[in-house]
Amino acid sequence: MTHKILVLNGPGLGDLSDYDGNTYRGLTLEKIRSECSRLCRDLGVELDFRQTEDQDEMFRWIAKESEGYDGVIINPVGYSRAASVSYALYRSAIQMIAMLKKPVVEVHISNIFSQSAEITQPLHEPVGDMGFVCGLGVQSYLLGIRAIAHRFGLDVTPQ
Amino acid sequence: MTRTIYFINGPNLNLLGTREPEIYGSSTLKDIEKRCKAIGKKLGLNVVFFQSNHEGAIIDHLHEAIDTAQGVVINAAAYTHTSVAIHDALRAFKGYKIELHISNPHLRESFRHVSFVSPVVDAVVAGLGIHGYELVLDVMAGELK
Repeated sequence: MTHKILVLNGPGLGDLSDYDGNTYRGLTLEKIRSECSRLCRDLGVELDFRQTEDQDEMFRWIAKESEGYDGVIINPVGYSRAASVSYALYRSAIQMIAMLKKPVVEVHISNIFSQSAEITQPLHEPVGDMGFVCGLGVQSYLLGIRAIAHRFGLDVTPQ
Repeated sequence: MTRTIYFINGPNLNLLGTREPEIYGSSTLKDIEKRCKAIGKKLGLNVVFFQSNHEGAIIDHLHEAIDTAQGVVINAAAYTHTSVAIHDALRAFKGYKIELHISNPHLRESFRHVSFVSPVVDAVVAGLGIHGYELVLDVMAGELK
């Protein structure tokens, strides 16, 4: 049986042109998609890579559609911060995924903690089994995929 | 030129494999070091492991890294959430820096939700188990090419 990984990208990630330009100049969602596809092909894992500009659609994907996959990568942009206005909705979506007991990794392109002097919190209280990677650009996604594939028992050593 | 990576491990990580294996796994720090050194060799990286339960010793090693290492992976363990001194020492190291945790501190008790390390590193990797040590080594190899 082929393992399936769902990669979800939240609002704003469709256009990275003015996103953290200094560090990740030239990075596009298409480039992230193609690198994720290549890695998944090498690992023999099926990939479903999505992005939405609609927060409700993102929450629905997390809560309802994760069920059909063996592991999930989420770039929730600002929603995972406890201070976010939609945090409660995000949190309840994450609780649904936690009940499924699947490996989940939250990823961010940049180091979300370096932007401000204030030390922020991505998640407030314990929710399920969730890894976290930020600051590695496209590698944040690739590391997340490799970590999940490792949990499937696959050899994820780079070739 | 061979690149040197310091893996700096904070308090209680010497008990890895015996302390709460349901959270941290059953490998010892020595096991992890052995695997990382083998992988580092293949990647052309000189991997140096250090562990201490003492804040000052961790800072001394970060200072040593300034002259001898190109990359630092820091698992400051409980000092992550308390140490302004480690924050300052990391700021002084100009190479590539990754904060690493075996579990995801954000999913644990609220006193682990603040990290003094996160704002002064390039990247944060947490909650990927001990496999995280191997994964960040690949990242280091890519960053320090």
